[in-house]
Amino acid sequence: MAEHRPARVWVMRSLYLGLSFFIIFLHLLPLATGPNRWIAPDLMMALTFAWAMRRPEYVSAICVGSIILLADFLFQRPPGLTAGLIVVGAETLRARAVANRDMPYFLEWASVAGVMIGVVFAQRLLLAVFFIPAPALGLVLQELMMTIALYPIVVMISHFVFNVRRPSPGEVDAFGQRI
Amino acid sequence: MAKDRAQSEDFTNPLKRLLLGVVLLCLFAIFMVWRIDSPRVERFRLAVIDRVVPNFDWAMVPVTGTINLVRDFQSYQRIYQQNQELRRELQQMKSWKEAALQLEQENARLLDLNSVRLDPRLTHVTGVVMADSGSPFRQSVLLNVGRRDGLLDGWATMDGLGLVGRISGVGENASRVILLTDTTSRIPAVIQPSGQNALVVGDNTRSPPIDFLENPDLVRPGDRVVSSGDGGVFPAGLVIGQVAKDPGGRLRVRLSADYERLEFLRVLRNYGAERIEDTGKLIRPEAVPSNPETPTEPEQTSEASDG
Repeated sequence: MAEHRPARVWVMRSLYLGLSFFIIFLHLLPLATGPNRWIAPDLMMALTFAWAMRRPEYVSAICVGSIILLADFLFQRPPGLTAGLIVVGAETLRARAVANRDMPYFLEWASVAGVMIGVVFAQRLLLAVFFIPAPALGLVLQELMMTIALYPIVVMISHFVFNVRRPSPGEVDAFGQRI
Repeated sequence: MAKDRAQSEDFTNPLKRLLLGVVLLCLFAIFMVWRIDSPRVERFRLAVIDRVVPNFDWAMVPVTGTINLVRDFQSYQRIYQQNQELRRELQQMKSWKEAALQLEQENARLLDLNSVRLDPRLTHVTGVVMADSGSPFRQSVLLNVGRRDGLLDGWATMDGLGLVGRISGVGENASRVILLTDTTSRIPAVIQPSGQNALVVGDNTRSPPIDFLENPDLVRPGDRVVSSGDGGVFPAGLVIGQVAKDPGGRLRVRLSADYERLEFLRVLRNYGAERIEDTGKLIRPEAVPSNPETPTEPEQTSEASDG
């Protein structure tokens, strides 16, 4: 089956990069140059976590780190901070991915939401520790809530469009090992 | 089963963990370096933007154009009201235009009488907005003009109507404009009829509040807010907007520039006023200047390095 070939992993890795570039592109479009009332969710974080829960091998740490570092540079964020924290978050989910394979969807959503909240608050804490002016808490919470609310949709699109699913029992990888 | 997996991953796991450690170390090292030596990393950031964003341009222009087309199409639904509004506005404009023409003639005559020489270097470069900041917490846009066009940090940027922001960060062929609505923007301003000095402080809302006002009682909603030129970064007298009072009683600026549609921005070339560096001789000048008429060149780069 196609999923067992190592080429598939590389295709999906480049698909992850491509999707991330597309999200960056959407953010950069100069459509609303004034301050907005509502805030777009952090789709890159949702995408990364959704894939890290399902197929951790598609989102390697170096991939996630470099693309979000690029986003940090482009979006005027403190470079490296968000990227580092999201890598930590993705690794936390990855470490639990195997144990949580049979978890009901609602629990998965809750645990991802927990990690997202952790990432955002760690970010605020670090900004405070290093005396960097942080964005308004209201806006950050709004973004966080939007991201958590949109996570199921990201999962659905990944599942049905990009075919990123949890490995079924007994599935083996390219080297014949169980995954 | 879990044990099997643990054994089979024995070979790859340490390597993966090492890679993860290296990635995390790099990322947080970048963050620390940015914290310690911000200007250098910001220059690097601008270089990255300079490389990446123009590559998006081929896709960005058509997509933005299409979406704006759709938006315009939606506004056709109320085309009749718009037409009426425009007619009314045009009537008002015509009377203003007459007044402006008369004033212009009068001004020209007065300038001629005084033989005033206006600064010939107050020209502008017009750039197109390539991209916005991408983050909801930052209000800035990227222009497609940069060092190639002689831009310097700190120059004022306007659309046709009013002040939009200042250049902060110049790449080879892109530059970033921090808008007045950004939380880091502080612009010294004068409120016109009363002549009160104040700061226009961006706070990520559509109308930035006015701060450090000497006497708020002298300021009424509707007063004109113009840049004061204090601090030597901006030329004086650029229109920022009108004073408005929000429901909480705080004075804010309703910006003249059309922030909804920033498309073409005008960057005003401003090489800064001449600076007086020495303290002056209190008793008498040591040497009588031989030819006081000779103007000296203002410093061009001092402003830029500050900004």
